[in-house]
Amino acid sequence: MDTLNALFYGFGVALQPLHLALGFFGAFIGTLVGALPGIGPVNGVAILIPLAFSLQLSPTAALILLSSVYYGTMYGGRISSILLNIPGDEPAVMTTLDGYPMARSGRAASALAVSGVASFVGGTLATVGLTLFAPILARAAIHFGPAEYFALYVLAFATIGGITGANPAKTLLAAMIGLAIGTVGLDPATGIPRFTFDSYHLYDGVDFIVAIVGLFAISEFLIFLERPAGTHQPRVEIGSMRGAYRDVRRSFGAMLRNSVVGFIAGVLPGAGASLGSFLAYVFERRISNRNDTFGKGDPRGVAAPEAGNNAAAGGALVPMLTLGVPGSGTTAVMLAMLITLNITPGPLLFEKQAELVWGLIAALYLANVVLVILNLPLVGIFTRLLALPYWLLMPIVVMASFVGVYSISHSPFDLYMMIGFGVFGYVLRKLEISLVPVVLGLLLGEAMEFNLRRALSISNGDWTYLVSSPIANTIYVATAVLLAIAVAMALRRERTPH
Amino acid sequence: MSDRIAGLLIAAIALVYGIVAGGYEQGFGDPLGPAAFPRIVAVPLGLFALVLVVRPDAEPAWPRARVLLRQLNALLVLVLYALLLEDLGFPLATFLAVTLLARELGARWRASLLTGIGLGAGLWTLFDPILGLPLPLGLLAW
Repeated sequence: MDTLNALFYGFGVALQPLHLALGFFGAFIGTLVGALPGIGPVNGVAILIPLAFSLQLSPTAALILLSSVYYGTMYGGRISSILLNIPGDEPAVMTTLDGYPMARSGRAASALAVSGVASFVGGTLATVGLTLFAPILARAAIHFGPAEYFALYVLAFATIGGITGANPAKTLLAAMIGLAIGTVGLDPATGIPRFTFDSYHLYDGVDFIVAIVGLFAISEFLIFLERPAGTHQPRVEIGSMRGAYRDVRRSFGAMLRNSVVGFIAGVLPGAGASLGSFLAYVFERRISNRNDTFGKGDPRGVAAPEAGNNAAAGGALVPMLTLGVPGSGTTAVMLAMLITLNITPGPLLFEKQAELVWGLIAALYLANVVLVILNLPLVGIFTRLLALPYWLLMPIVVMASFVGVYSISHSPFDLYMMIGFGVFGYVLRKLEISLVPVVLGLLLGEAMEFNLRRALSISNGDWTYLVSSPIANTIYVATAVLLAIAVAMALRRERTPH
Repeated sequence: MSDRIAGLLIAAIALVYGIVAGGYEQGFGDPLGPAAFPRIVAVPLGLFALVLVVRPDAEPAWPRARVLLRQLNALLVLVLYALLLEDLGFPLATFLAVTLLARELGARWRASLLTGIGLGAGLWTLFDPILGLPLPLGLLAW
């Protein structure tokens, strides 16, 4: 009953005019960002953070905006997957497999309807899951001490991207790079400057937001420049809605099943929504592909990954809010914003920041309703915007990054820093070193060091304190198992050339 | 080869990073001090970098000369933009940067100029008077 009361209170927060407007705006921008190939969910959220920050939105308002964008990208990604066979973002890759064949055989409208409903089912069920499980996890995590938190951070680093990431050594290397960058600045415990090269600009450390916008938005722009100049998408027709109702009814079971699959994938620290849609598609194909219809335009093959990625997005919010450990790249970026706003996510959030937590959860229910309207009856707006030329879109993205970063500190130094991180991010991407662990290391480094030092001052320098609690040890065992799986999968992939 | 170079470079950085960290003084009542955590990070940082040297992945597709030139041009525009933003002011600097970027992205001169004018004026209007983010006017402030 507690939860129901809290949710009721949350709707009061979410229905405030500013929050409603931000949710609606976020849903629209999110769908657009998702639909446009070349701008992914992380970028969409990263660019809006500095704006949210400099517009002095309250943490609740800012989080509602960013989460609505995040949910929106999960809806939008399918549009270009289905119509153009180009995934609008990474979680929508699996949707091309059956979505595009459906569109080719004149059933684009039906594919959009099925995937839209699937997104709604996945997103809403995941929000229900968030409502039910997050408070329970938060209550359990209240007993976590420094040793447990340290173990949890080790788990997060060892597993993020590890399950799907190509090369586990590179993923772990990326996390260490992030941790190393995170130590730049004044040591919070002693005030000694570390790795600042005597530049006062670096005394406060590397600003998360500057680093993130550079790593994602600017590097994306550099990647984009590799495409031949002047390319833009042709205008596409959606066609008639005939057969859509039947397709939705036929694939409804797939939506329900794969919402669960996606939600679980999202909760685990890992690759978030991309993993969710991948597992959902593979799962659905295994149980439903009796007549070999998958890959040829089976509506269930569209429903499964879309329910999966939307559910994973909701699932990824669970560890972010309750433990302060993000379950995906985008939630890592949202965590950066919360830390910058002096909100430390974790079990206490549910007690001390009820307005933020429950306002957000309620706003997500509303965002799903807005999104299904934007993405079903009004989907034509977005298919038309897809034909906008990139020489117009990319400069807008780049300029939004500059305005956002500049308005935080009004310092050109931050702009150079952002460009520098952009080049760094570009090189890492070319080397197939994932950026998400870098961000995670940068974000969690300070808390990780703090907990390690606190643990050792409690135990008077006795390192065995770290492995003296059953909870911490369970987490270490889980880490070892997940790492072993990642390495085994990477070795197997190496042996079977594709 | 790229992996090997990157691995060697990062391993060298890890070594320097660890040595520099060793010079930080220990605090009072803090058994670990400011040096320990960076040194703990330096070890796996160096080791994973060496894994890249020993077992590199296939060579990534680096951009060809023409694409690289476009990227360098675009970077130059961005750096100049950051450099001149406060002196020229947001509307003017944005107009110049957007025009050049749009051109680099394949728009014709006419379209590039129109995009530059539109975004220079439009973004300033959106951010400064409407959203209330103060942006420098530079030359236009008189």
